[in-house]
Parts: sequence; C-alpha cells; structure tokens
Amino acid sequence: MHISVLLGDDIGSQLLNGIFSLQFLQFIIAFLSFFGFVLTSAVILILAERKVMAWMQDRIGPFHTGPWGLLQTVADVGKLLLKEDIHAVKADKSLFLLAPSVFMAPVIAAFAVIPFSPYIGLPGTALATGIIYYVAMSSIDVVGVIMAGWSSNNKYSLIGGLRSAAQMISYELPLVLALLSVVMLTSALAGSPGYPGSSGIGTISIREIIDFQNAWPKNGVGIPVLDFIFKGFTPWAWFFLIQPLMIIVYYICGLAETNRAPFDLPEAESELVAGYLTEYSGMRWALFFLGEYGNMTIVSAIATALFLGGWSGPGVAYLTGLGGFGWGLLGNLLGVVYFIIKVYLLCFVFIWVRSTLPRLRADQLMQFAWLILIPITLFNILLTGLIYLVVSSLALGNLTNLVFLVVVGIFNWAMLFAFIWIVRRATSATTRRALAPAIRAQRRATPATQIPERAGAPGGGQ
Amino acid sequence: MATNQDTNTSAQAEASEDISSQEMLLNMGPQHPSTHGVLRLVLKLEGETVVDCTPVIGYLHRGIEKILENRPVMGGIRYMDNADYLSPMLNEIAYAGAVEQLMGIEPPWRAQYIRLLVGEMQRIASHLVAVGTYLLDLGAFTPVLWTFRDREGIMALFEALGGSRFNVNYLRVGGVLHDFPNGWLKECEAYLDQLEKNMAELEKLITGNEIFEARTQGVGYIDPQQAIAYGLTGPMLRASGVNWDLRVNRPYMAYREVPVIMQVRQEGDCYARYRVRIQEIHESIRLCRVALDKMPGGPISTRTPIALRPPRGETYFAIESSKGELGIYFISDGSEYPWRAKIRGPSLVNLQILPELLRGHKMSDVVAITGSLDLVLGEVDR
Repeated sequence: MHISVLLGDDIGSQLLNGIFSLQFLQFIIAFLSFFGFVLTSAVILILAERKVMAWMQDRIGPFHTGPWGLLQTVADVGKLLLKEDIHAVKADKSLFLLAPSVFMAPVIAAFAVIPFSPYIGLPGTALATGIIYYVAMSSIDVVGVIMAGWSSNNKYSLIGGLRSAAQMISYELPLVLALLSVVMLTSALAGSPGYPGSSGIGTISIREIIDFQNAWPKNGVGIPVLDFIFKGFTPWAWFFLIQPLMIIVYYICGLAETNRAPFDLPEAESELVAGYLTEYSGMRWALFFLGEYGNMTIVSAIATALFLGGWSGPGVAYLTGLGGFGWGLLGNLLGVVYFIIKVYLLCFVFIWVRSTLPRLRADQLMQFAWLILIPITLFNILLTGLIYLVVSSLALGNLTNLVFLVVVGIFNWAMLFAFIWIVRRATSATTRRALAPAIRAQRRATPATQIPERAGAPGGGQ
Repeated sequence: MATNQDTNTSAQAEASEDISSQEMLLNMGPQHPSTHGVLRLVLKLEGETVVDCTPVIGYLHRGIEKILENRPVMGGIRYMDNADYLSPMLNEIAYAGAVEQLMGIEPPWRAQYIRLLVGEMQRIASHLVAVGTYLLDLGAFTPVLWTFRDREGIMALFEALGGSRFNVNYLRVGGVLHDFPNGWLKECEAYLDQLEKNMAELEKLITGNEIFEARTQGVGYIDPQQAIAYGLTGPMLRASGVNWDLRVNRPYMAYREVPVIMQVRQEGDCYARYRVRIQEIHESIRLCRVALDKMPGGPISTRTPIALRPPRGETYFAIESSKGELGIYFISDGSEYPWRAKIRGPSLVNLQILPELLRGHKMSDVVAITGSLDLVLGEVDR
C-alpha cells in the first residue's frame, strides 16, 4: 500500500514527467543519432580501411558492389546477418553468447561523454568526470575479450584472450598517465586570464578541456575577420603542440587498447588464426568487429577532444556567439564537421600504421609498455609539475602562462625526439638480439640438442 | 606426466618448482594461415614457450616421383612443375639437366643462356614470395601485395614465353621449347629496371624497421656447424656464414661462363636469411642483365628423338634452386620411362632443423622461424 502510493505519487509521476519532457525527447534523439553514428562510423571505417589500404598496397580494393565499391560493407553486413550462428559443442554457452554484447556495449556507452559541437552531444558530455568515465568504459572491453577467449573452449582463443587481457591492462596505465598530463596543463592554466575555471583547479571534463585549448579573448579583439577565424580556434594553443609526446604515447596506447596493428596480438592472424574470434561466426563475430571499429573511433575522438581542440575550427564560436537559432545551428553543424574531420584524420593514421608495420611479439609488447611508456609518462608528469613550480615561483606576472607553456612545450618536444631515439635503441637492445647468446649457450648445454655426428660430413665451416 | 624427459632445461625445471603449470599440446595446421600450405606442427607449449615441436608432413603428397616413373621422360617435365610450385622453371632445369647428363647431350649455348635467364627470373619470383609471405607471417600486410605485384610481371613474361603463367612446361631435354617472341627481351629489360626500383621501395619499408629487426634478429640462430650437419642448403646455409652455392662451387650450364657473386651473411638468424634472399634478388637481377647482354644466337635445342630412351645407367644432377640444392637422382633401364627419378628437395631437408630451432622460443617466434625457412610443401611432400 505504502509502496504503491509512493510509486504513484513520487517516482511514477516523476518518471512520467521525465518521459514526456523535452529533455527526454532530446536525449532519445541524441542517443539514437549517436548509436547510429557508432554503427555508421564502423561501416565507413571498414570501407575506408579497405580502400586506403588498397591504395597504399597498389591494388584496387572492393569495387563490385555499388559505385566505387561503396556498398561493399552493407553487403557484408547483410551476409553476416543471414549467416548461421554456429556454437562449438563444448563451448561455455552462456558466456559465449554474452561476450560480444559485453564487448560492444562499453564502446557505445563511452560515446556518451564525447561532445561533437558546443551544443550537440548527449547529456553525458556535461559530465564533470569525462576522462574517468571514458577510461572506465574502455577497460570493460577486456572482460568481453576474456569471456570470448575462455568460453570458446579453443586453445587459440584462450591464448588470444589471455594475451589481450595482459595487453589491455598494461596499456591502460600509460594511457591514463598520458591523459593526466593534459589535466595537469588545465590545472596550471585554470583561472588565469583567457582561460576558464578558478585558479589552481583543473578539470577532467572533456568539454572544458576543449575550452582550455582555445585561448582567444572571449569577446574578440574587434577585427571581424580575425574574430571570425580565431574566436574559439587557436591551434597554437592546442595541447598537442605543448605535449606532443603525450599524444603519441596516448595514440600508441590507443592502438594497443583497440588491438590494432602493430599490437594486434590477440587476433594475430598468422599465429592464432583469429585469436578470441576463432569460434565466432555471423552477427556475433560482426559485433566484435563493430566494437573494434567503434573503439577506433572513440580513441580518435578522445585524442581529438583532448589534444586537437575538439570541435573548434574557424567560425564555430563566432557563429554560435551571434545569437539566433539559425546561426547557432550553422555554427554547431560546422563544429560537427570539424570534429568528424579530425576524428577521421586520426583514424586514417590507424589504417596507415596497420599497412606499414609488422607485429610485435608478446614479450616485446609488455616490455614496451612497462619499461618505456610508463616511465616516460611518469617522468613527463614529474617534469611538468617541476616546471610549473619553478615558473610560478619566478613571479612573472602576466607572462607566467606563456613562459610555462613554452617551457613545457620545449621540454616535451625534446623528449619526443629522445623517445624516438630510445625506442630505436630499446627495440634492438631489450629484445632477443641481446638474449641470443644466452639462448645459444642454453641450447648447446642441452644434451638432447647435440649435433648428430655423421661420418663424411663436410666440416670446418666450408 | 610432468616428469617427461623433454623438459630438461634448467629454466623450465625452476618454473615447474615454483608454479605447477601444465604443458599444452597445440596443433598448428594443417589448416593454419602461416604454415605455408599444409604443414602441421604439433607444438608442446609451456605457457607461450615451445618445449617441443613435431612437424607432420604428407598432407600434400601426390606421388610425383611415382608419376615420373609412369610417364615418358619428356612428359615428366610437366610434373616437375608441381614439385616446388613456386619455382617450376628451376625444377624443370634440374630434371632436364639430369636426363641430358645421362644421355650425354650438351644443349646449345643459346638454350643454356635462356635457361639461366628464366632460372634467375624464377629465383627472383620465388624469393619475392618468400619475402612477402614472411612479412605477412610477421604481421605486415603490405609487403606481400607488393611482392606479388612484382612477381606478376615475371608470370606475364613466362606466359608470353611458354604459354602458361605458372606451370610453364617450357624446358625440353636438349634445349627449350620456344625462342623469345618479338619484343620479349625489351620487355624483360624494362621489367628488370622497374623491379629494381620496386625493390628499393620494399627495402625502405622493411629492412630498417625496428619492429622487424626486433622480431628477427637473434631469432632462430643456426650454427655453421649445425647447418652443415643438418644438410641445409641455399639461403639457409649461406645465412649461417657457409659459402656454398652450387652455381659457384659446382658451376653447371651457362654458369660456367657467367660468374655468380655468392651472397653470404654471418649472423645465422632469421634476419640474415631475409637479407640473403633480398641480396640474391639483386644478384639475380644482375645475372639476368648479363644473360640478356651475352645472349648468343643459334639454335635453341638439339634434335632429340620424340621417344626419348636414355641409356641404361644412373646419374645425379643438382642445381642451386631458390631454396637450395635441388637434385635429381635418375636411374634409367634403357626404356622410354625412367626407372626411378628421386627428387632431392631442399625444402624437405631444410625442414628437418625446425624442431631444433623452435625449442625454447616463444609462440610468436614459431611463425617467424617457420617463415624464414621458406618451405614449399609441394616439394616437402611431393
């Protein structure tokens, strides 16, 4: 009785009010369009990948289905939908059926915090803890992969799933540390002239971080042309110029997180057939695929928002600032266009990397994460903090920000080149080339491996 | 079960004391993307480390040696195409050479130079496939398509020459089937120029790559002593620092006139084997150019009877194929059919060292090492 009254009076009416409110309608439309965006993006990326790789590899790529092969992915999806959903007899059925959804769901969920333009975005874009939410969602993926690997009851799947678990967990750390460097920049800049926020308090909201990268005076400088272009668009203040190493570290970790080449060990085709995907077929397999490409999009989207100024481009802030629905819509659509261009530019790099590099070995992968990426990101955080401490104690007045950014930028660019040099050295030094003598000695010491002596064999190295 | 005698390295003994782990038996192949056909490897894994490996062969056995016994001598050439299906021309040269040696026929010089030319082009094609698929095994997708594109040029030239892209059936005992069609030599030269440019591009993509170096350097090391003891030949042997190349050490046919610069590297690892193949492609391009320059005139074939009856006797004739020493042991009882034609395939012999190489390496190295052997299962199983 009491409960029903409660329901009828409070929660029920609140629900009803909520459902029929304008915000809810907005939410539904935004959600559906975002869901559509994830799926469409995957479809476009699959086609783009095949076409771009074909271009790089001196071949044509798909061209039979539709004009210029545009409908190839559509046809593929149709085929996959109609395909029989095969289960292995000895598979752990419930886990096997659930795994693709567990893999796919966080990818779509992670899009909630991505702002596409000043106003277009899910309500989640206002979330003050955007980065944490994204990191949390992206690390749930690994559960789906392990579930798939374990439940398939296949040795290749199991090895793939376990490799994936190790890989994703290892690369989660440098990824978060790389994002942390951006947060440190915002906390150093907050509250100073031209920047939002109150002094000393940074932000982990993605929307605010985008604001931090556009330091043009809010009211403009009075010259209309300059205002039109540069209001809300200051590429010289984007964080990828100040922290170039960190966007590269983030990007490398993104490659590993999404199991893309050269870190595609979990599904290494030439070793593990298809890794954790081996036993999957039809739409369940396609869900993993969609998830992977959705992941690619979201890694690129986060990199765009945090390092490349998000939606900002010439005209966006100016048009939305004019007032009036029409100008606002135009500005927002322009913002979406800029955002998507930047996202696909980064996705293009994903494809480029895939068609260029061979695959790393599992132990090299781990070494790279733990011995190179994590120390270098930790050192970068330490360095950024030290520079801030030193610069802020110099009492430079209005120049504090500028000096801080320039010094951090110089150090980071220097570290970028040092990083490239270290990677060059480390890949050959920490790998089996250094271990080779030990392996040889071990093999010589093993009795079973003695060279079979043969009478009359030519000897003496000739 | 855990007390088997195979796990006798000290590291594994320590590991089994600390953590009780179970060895896993993994069947790699016969249907597997990177076993280059139908090789089956039964791997015993300790975690990701290979404890033991047993190659199982025979899935592509077509009885080529038996077929050769049941075909007239001249008809056998076509079946030699299918042995090492990536270098049919070289197989044919070996077979025709064996019969000629038994019959005491010396092909005319023009035929010998044509053989050298097509043989070296076939070596280029085979090495291109070896390099491309090796990089595919290592996870790089682009090189294989580039090398297959380049190989297609050779296929087209062969088609113009013999009428068939792949199973060319071009050689005859005592010479070759056709002379060059009009404009073929010019096209061949243009192709070689283009190939040289493409090779430079390919090497820019692969050779300096850190990941590639990390995957291959020091992996799959073979001692020179070990290489000789296992009877390895070809790039496998030369990558271990043993200077042995039949074209140089036992020159046959036109190689008596055209000197070959032997490509040797000292490292003995997968990287060295890759580099030897790349260098041999460059060397083969040079040899092709020399053959084109020195191409003598005259007949392309000696006249031989249609029903070829080699004299009673036996002979062994070996050439340097793309994978190593390809020998034909030919026994004739004086009839139209060979009594026995044994193929000494380099792939089969080179495969024998695989279990030795894999032991102690990681699972990912299995494909890196297997790919570097450049196996062709058509020749292993025959």
